[in-house]
Amino acid sequence: MHRHRHRHRDKGYKTGSGYQRIALIGNPNVGKSIIFGLLTGKYAAVSNYPGTTVEVFHGNITLDGKKFLLVDTPGVNSLIPMSEDERVTRDILLSEKPSLVLQVGDAKNLKRTLLLTIQLAEMGLPVILDLNMEDEARDRGIIIDTKKLKEVLGVEVVGTIAPERKGIKTLKAAISQQIPKVPQIKIHYGSVIEDYIERVASYLPETNISKRSLALMILSGDESLRGWLNANLEEATIQKLEDLRDECQKKVKRPVGLIVNEIRFKKAGEITNMVMKKSPQKGGSLSVYIGRASMHPFWGLLVLLLVLYGLYEFVGVFGAGILVDFLEETIFGKYLNPMFIKTIEAIIPVKFLQEMFVGQYGLITMALTYAIGIILPITTTFFIAFSILEDSGYLPRLAIMSNRVFNIMGLSGKAVLPMVLGLGCGTMAVMTTRILESRRDRIIATFLLALAVPCSAQLGVILGMLSALSAKALAIWLFSVLGVLLFVGYLASKIVPGEQSEFFLEIPPIRMPSISNVTVKTAGRAVWYLKEAVPLFMLGTFILFVLDKLKILGVIEKITSPVVVGVLGLPAKTTEAFLIGFFRRDYGAAGLFAMAQDGLLTPVQTVVSLVTITLFVPCLAHFLMMIKERGLRMSLTMLAIIIPVAVLAGGVLNWILRTFDINI
Amino acid sequence: MWNSGQEASVEEIGKPCRRAARSSTEESLFEDEVLETVWEIREKSEAVRLADVVEELGNEESIRRMQANGLIMIQDDKIYFTEEGECRARDITRRHLLAERLFADVLDLTDYEEDACRFEHVISPEVEEAICTFLGHPPLCPHGRPIPKGKCCELYAKKVQPLVQSLKDLEVGKQAKVLFITAPAMDRLASMGLVPGASIRLQQKKPSYVVEIDETTLAVGEDIAKGIYVKQA
Repeated sequence: MHRHRHRHRDKGYKTGSGYQRIALIGNPNVGKSIIFGLLTGKYAAVSNYPGTTVEVFHGNITLDGKKFLLVDTPGVNSLIPMSEDERVTRDILLSEKPSLVLQVGDAKNLKRTLLLTIQLAEMGLPVILDLNMEDEARDRGIIIDTKKLKEVLGVEVVGTIAPERKGIKTLKAAISQQIPKVPQIKIHYGSVIEDYIERVASYLPETNISKRSLALMILSGDESLRGWLNANLEEATIQKLEDLRDECQKKVKRPVGLIVNEIRFKKAGEITNMVMKKSPQKGGSLSVYIGRASMHPFWGLLVLLLVLYGLYEFVGVFGAGILVDFLEETIFGKYLNPMFIKTIEAIIPVKFLQEMFVGQYGLITMALTYAIGIILPITTTFFIAFSILEDSGYLPRLAIMSNRVFNIMGLSGKAVLPMVLGLGCGTMAVMTTRILESRRDRIIATFLLALAVPCSAQLGVILGMLSALSAKALAIWLFSVLGVLLFVGYLASKIVPGEQSEFFLEIPPIRMPSISNVTVKTAGRAVWYLKEAVPLFMLGTFILFVLDKLKILGVIEKITSPVVVGVLGLPAKTTEAFLIGFFRRDYGAAGLFAMAQDGLLTPVQTVVSLVTITLFVPCLAHFLMMIKERGLRMSLTMLAIIIPVAVLAGGVLNWILRTFDINI
Repeated sequence: MWNSGQEASVEEIGKPCRRAARSSTEESLFEDEVLETVWEIREKSEAVRLADVVEELGNEESIRRMQANGLIMIQDDKIYFTEEGECRARDITRRHLLAERLFADVLDLTDYEEDACRFEHVISPEVEEAICTFLGHPPLCPHGRPIPKGKCCELYAKKVQPLVQSLKDLEVGKQAKVLFITAPAMDRLASMGLVPGASIRLQQKKPSYVVEIDETTLAVGEDIAKGIYVKQA
């Protein structure tokens, strides 16, 4: 997943005429990324829910001296795109002429696999079919005669079990040795549609995929093709095509797209029946029961509470408590910082420079201590817990449990995926909003992510501080943030135009998370954190240092004091935390953490400041991603709403706590 | 001799009316229109004024002639059905409204009024009954008018499970076959294998609907579940 955080994460690959392009295509959650990793040796995030990959990734592979460029794509159910990530995949086939499509399919779901194969065949693209997850198919009593399937399709078919690396050698051999062939599947869509396919095709230019497939997309009413049509055809021709489409639609009565899809499914079903044997299932396995329990109206709640409790114990108590105590207080406080202070004072005689490194706003004593002593242990424990949740297949089940709650905010349960991912990192979560169907959903989700979803590092610090206070403090914080989330979400659902989208989501099987994937993923995320967060911590600290030295910090604190001191009832120094919070949310929280440790915050002030900083602006990276996905104007608008909402919520909470003299 | 109430006993419903020849002479077609109009007006008001029907269909003379044919009675400028007329009016209205349901729900058409009007004249009682059963004996037409019950509906009310029901009404744990889908987002559902003909199993209804199609597990909200019509296996 963290591969996807930055555009520049997709790097370190070579293109050019010496490299044959292979597009990795398949239904969501069939293991494309894991196959990609096994072939290229590059790790692409692997999880157990549809929509892990929302961007394209490239990697090189050399087989028998032949060089290939492998392209990993977001999963698709149909090559007539229904969402932004599906569109990315179709556009690759349309614009990048791959010399081979490596289709990865789920062996236990052959019919859906073949639905895509049929479309690839219609596009005229050469295919090698990899039937992955043979083990899961076998456990369900499903056996596929790959030899026969090979004959029927006329292309190479390889069975694999990716996590065990089974069949990967055969797959590599197939890629390097086989002459790529287009699957031999011909479908007749009935005389009316066939007639219109021909008529539409006659207006189309030669391109990377067959005219027939393009014509079918147009007749099916594929709006996402507009851009391509505008770029390749005259306006008058496009008008003509639209007229033909409407004419065809009128003649067949039911939506053409549905008819086409049904005919394809029928064909896929016929082929499946020829090559698949299914013996009666053995009794349900443990994972099936866990899977069902976790979405049950009653047991599901228990599972949810159990998961939350586990998270709290592991991240809050173990990570933010025990590990932070050890790293920050013992390692940094007792050994590293005194050592650095001594060394720097010895080698740098200038007081100003000394303070820059080891002073109150020192790059080492503040930035590094915060980054490595406080945040790193918290994020790492969170990433471990989170990877386990991702790989188990629990997250989509959480969507089932929370659909109704999300309906209040005008979203469907599907939005739980980006929101929960936001608890990991808001930046990547904004990108994951791509899996949502409508622009409206993406706007609301992006907004709520920026407003009320704390990222793992921030959450860890907050949990650590609150659990040090009392359970009541934690409850007040949780209640306030969730209250604001629901209330503002409710308002947003009324204001943002558009209809609420319907909830539907594919639920993957519950799987035992593999230790190696959890390790690799956590390590990748921890490294990412160090690479991205530490420099920003340094920069933020340096700016604070300069502001302090120039005496501007005091001025800023004076300017903001009516709000910070007056409305929120916090010490003026908290302004610093809010300032650095814009570089990194967690850094802001860490600032509060340090203040609380130094006894500068009363319990009420701690709770108020934490609620405010949770709701306060997203960090810089998050904001940049918002601009990339939603545009500058929309992002600024969101920011303009978020700041007053955060202050207002903090102010109201402060007033309530003080007026009613609530002890924390 | 004539009824003004709408409800009829089962015996009456079962009795076949003497239908106009289905070759549909112009006269019988007009009679059907009159009967249907009278039926519709009677749904809303106690008395059916001749003037209202004339305003709708014109041709007062032909309407009056129907009195001679024993289909209606005209008294004090108000129209009443004879037994024969009421029977035919119920039949024709029923066929019309069933056709509307069929076109709207199953065939997903929006512009079906005219077709429904023609359809009502040409289908046989057997087809009518089959359609009614197929649709699960719907009580109302797409516009909310009550569909007169047929014999099949009465039987169904007594013992038979509806052949077609929405996923919303299917019992948890039951297997069923998808017949048609009118749900929003049906193109997306279709690409995941939820197409007419697919065999499904309903795993749960709360907090969201969960359906298993082959090896695919799909969660859907209630709005979608409502629009998935299935036949229990």
